[in-house]
Amino acid sequence: MFEDPANDTAERHRKQGTEPEAPDFAFDPDDPWTQTFQAGLERADLKGKTVYEVGVGTGVNLAFILRTCGAARAYGSDLDPRLVMLAERNLRSLSPQHAEHFEPVHGSVSLIDTDDARSKITKTDVVIACIPQVGEPNDLRLTAFRKAQSVELPDGAETQAEDHIAHYYPWTAFDEYPYNSVGLGLNEALLRRIRQHAPKAQVVMNFGCRIGSDIIFECFEANGYRPEKLASKIVHQHVGTDISFFVALEKALCGTDLEKQLVCKFYADPDGTHPLSATDAQRLIEKDPHVDLYHEVSVIRGIPIEN
Amino acid sequence: MQDSNTIDCNGLSPAPTVLRIMQALIGRKDSNVPLNVLVGSDCDCARLSVSLGDLADDVQLASNLRQFATIN
Repeated sequence: MFEDPANDTAERHRKQGTEPEAPDFAFDPDDPWTQTFQAGLERADLKGKTVYEVGVGTGVNLAFILRTCGAARAYGSDLDPRLVMLAERNLRSLSPQHAEHFEPVHGSVSLIDTDDARSKITKTDVVIACIPQVGEPNDLRLTAFRKAQSVELPDGAETQAEDHIAHYYPWTAFDEYPYNSVGLGLNEALLRRIRQHAPKAQVVMNFGCRIGSDIIFECFEANGYRPEKLASKIVHQHVGTDISFFVALEKALCGTDLEKQLVCKFYADPDGTHPLSATDAQRLIEKDPHVDLYHEVSVIRGIPIEN
Repeated sequence: MQDSNTIDCNGLSPAPTVLRIMQALIGRKDSNVPLNVLVGSDCDCARLSVSLGDLADDVQLASNLRQFATIN
């Protein structure tokens, strides 16, 4: 396990005397996921590189890669069109000297699915992203799968928080991607697009490793990337994020003789010494919805494998 | 729902392959014809069938698309 990220994001902001604008529809920039991602980005050799961030959120990572990591240029887009404008504003306030090094892709951009985004990807050395790995709880096919495993959606799981799209993705829409079966369809779709439009670009992606690092590595390899872990941290399981998908995966494998090949990885303690399956974790949540549960967040770099 | 009668499991290890097949079978429109499952050439189809249990009767495993045309 890697050491904790040395510089806490909130502390860094405090020292710099500036806080990013962070409305409810944006992913919290002080979340431990962001800290871990930035610890990985610091180790990703971004100096002098052109970087594209898929899902810019508040823009704190853009400021970080330009100011701290020494990236020469940054592009970025988001599914929520408000966020790329927010990122521009935050970059101007957090790191005004670097604002002109950022070229936004405006509008609602799913992955890199616009001409402008694809054009910029072709000029990119490193693509960075932290995008959802849990299917939308109300997705019809996902609901059918969950019900087939007799797994109920917990009370309140249908409720959509303001930053809902930062946590969940439309599962059925990405079913053409094999790793969608374990919640990695959106990430696999991005890997394939990058491979197609920027075959020499590296990727640096942030993952909640509830499904286990092994299968995430497998997904990278299956899509032509050699994976390596750049940073890792045990973080609180977000109270509002539904884990019934992971429970359904474990239940579905019961009786297949493959149960041990896929055991989800939650922890009962912040040091990650007491592992729990998703089924165990769900049982604890049912007893106490506010129970402290943890999982690993890892930053994984994918280096394209030469054909 | 699942629109195609063929799913791609190429590159997946056995556990996610079984999950993907289960998920596809649940979402199928036409359950009267077997689901075509594209697997890697290194797939142990016999072992996969054992893991699928009764569901194995509902699928056709093949390592390239042309084989489905032969089977169906």
